[in-house]
Amino acid sequence: MLSLALPGTSWAHRLSAGVKFGVLAGVMAVMAGLDRPVPLAVAGCAVLGLHATLGWRGLRAGALAMRPVLWIVGLIVIWQLALGTAHEALVLTLRIIAMVGAATFVTLTTPLPDLIALVERLAAPFARFGLSPRLPALAVAMVLRLIPVLRGRMEMLALAWRARSRKRPGPRLIVPMVLSLLDDSDHLAEALRARGGLTPTKLPPRRD
Amino acid sequence: MERNFTLIILFAALICALGFVPPITLISGVPISAQSLGVMLAGAVLGAGRGALAVVVVVGLVALGLPVLAGGRGGLGVFAGPTVGFLLGWIAAAFVTGWVVSRLQTRFIWLSATIAAVIGGIVVLYLCGTIGMMIVLHKTFGQALLLSLPFIPGDLIKAVVVGWLTAMIGRYRPGALLSRAH
Amino acid sequence: MIEIQDIVFRREGAVILDGLSLRLDTPRVAFVGRNGSGKSTLLRLIAGLMVPQAGQIRVTGVDVARDRAGALATVGILFQNPDHQIIFPTVIEEICFGLEQQGHPRADARGLAHQALSRAGHPDWADRLCHTLSQGQRQMVCLLAILAMEPRWILFDEPFNSLDIPSILRVQAQIAALTQNVITITHDPARVADYDRVIWLEQGRIVGDGAPGDVLPAYMSAMEQAAREAPC
Repeated sequence: MLSLALPGTSWAHRLSAGVKFGVLAGVMAVMAGLDRPVPLAVAGCAVLGLHATLGWRGLRAGALAMRPVLWIVGLIVIWQLALGTAHEALVLTLRIIAMVGAATFVTLTTPLPDLIALVERLAAPFARFGLSPRLPALAVAMVLRLIPVLRGRMEMLALAWRARSRKRPGPRLIVPMVLSLLDDSDHLAEALRARGGLTPTKLPPRRD
Repeated sequence: MERNFTLIILFAALICALGFVPPITLISGVPISAQSLGVMLAGAVLGAGRGALAVVVVVGLVALGLPVLAGGRGGLGVFAGPTVGFLLGWIAAAFVTGWVVSRLQTRFIWLSATIAAVIGGIVVLYLCGTIGMMIVLHKTFGQALLLSLPFIPGDLIKAVVVGWLTAMIGRYRPGALLSRAH
Repeated sequence: MIEIQDIVFRREGAVILDGLSLRLDTPRVAFVGRNGSGKSTLLRLIAGLMVPQAGQIRVTGVDVARDRAGALATVGILFQNPDHQIIFPTVIEEICFGLEQQGHPRADARGLAHQALSRAGHPDWADRLCHTLSQGQRQMVCLLAILAMEPRWILFDEPFNSLDIPSILRVQAQIAALTQNVITITHDPARVADYDRVIWLEQGRIVGDGAPGDVLPAYMSAMEQAAREAPC
């Protein structure tokens, strides 16, 4: 599965993930407190401008990320207009666009490996509790590898259903899925243990 | 240790895979996705702790910019939007569902599991989701709840389905319900 | 008889089958070919599980893609791994499923399923949990579930892949004993050496079609050639 980050590089890609997250947190805190149209419109334009620095693909990706939000915003705008509070509707729309846009910009410009490295740095202090610092990277890699496997298995079960029934397969197929997962977890656990397991152990002393 | 890890990873992958199943549209026009089924089931089957961790992995993947939510959504934008409460609330939903399943010892697993799914997957989830909407949309609790109402019937059906699925799993592979292993 | 007319099948932009036509009317037909040659796709099209973008497939006159009810009574299909096909926890439920979907009331379906198990010599399997059976036994359950629906043609998609040698020989014997017509996909030529007709597919096209003695040696030398040429 591909991450939503835009492939390639840009000025923003080259910034460190930690810096981007820190700045984002600050920006979101500020925007959350804004409630007048003019500052929000400025913020919105700034966010639009940021996406524009990434080119057409940046603007397109930003718009795509905005789509699921817009339907609910649209509903509320209609509601507010019906209540006669057009001002509130405007402020609401601008703030959501600015905040979702800012967050999306960080996602678009931070490739997965950078993020995993950040998570590992944050998880490093927990190594004293016996958890391998490689755990986040391993977890992400394994889940990403398993998603297409499970999708394929669900399709297979759906085919086996349709080979014997004209009806659409229903949630019933989740039962064999879950049972197969429970079996898989034993095999996968075995494979992990064979490669050293999850808890970092000290190497045995060398016999020289 | 490794087995817990692989169970969590596999269930997280299942929740993501369920996001690709085409949603069913109810008569009211509201689409219901299979993904939240997986969330409640994670708690019901794996128990509170592991179930919640499986959902934490999914939420983490979203934060990492992976389009694992139904409809191919993902990225930090989701956390800035109106549904953030529901996304984070999934973690609590799985935990509570698992907790109720392990505590509620009735004769019928489907009853315990359905009650658990309603408490976890609807009461707790909608509480978190509504608070999230309140904050993002600057609305009162009542107004935000009104916005979520159309989805409750679909989620009630899902809770019943979770109860039924859990009972099926438990009946035919009793050791499988780790939530009830004592 | 199976009539395949000018089938075109595309997936995600790639053309998998391009104007394929075949007429199958011998009791034992084999499809051989490399991975990606289109054999599995063709089998699923014959079962009516997928709809071709162009062309038509008729199994004993039934348009399998459009007439699903007719298709279920005419053609049955078994996939490689029984664990990815068994939907129900107990053997009897798994066998009953197809029968109920064909319209038999629950009680009749149960009776027919018990009969199918008895005929196969396993009346005691009825209430067994499928996951307690061995791999080969599970494959048998899948076969019985299809046989109970009494199709004219049974399609096997790589049935030998996940089995040990005794199980392979057992499945081969089971297939040989079937009164239905059979199409088997395999990439192991020894399994189909006694079939009536072998069709060799390569990249969606028929490159060999005839008696096993004619097609299989050519297929094997082509595979050996491919192995020599491909870097490892």
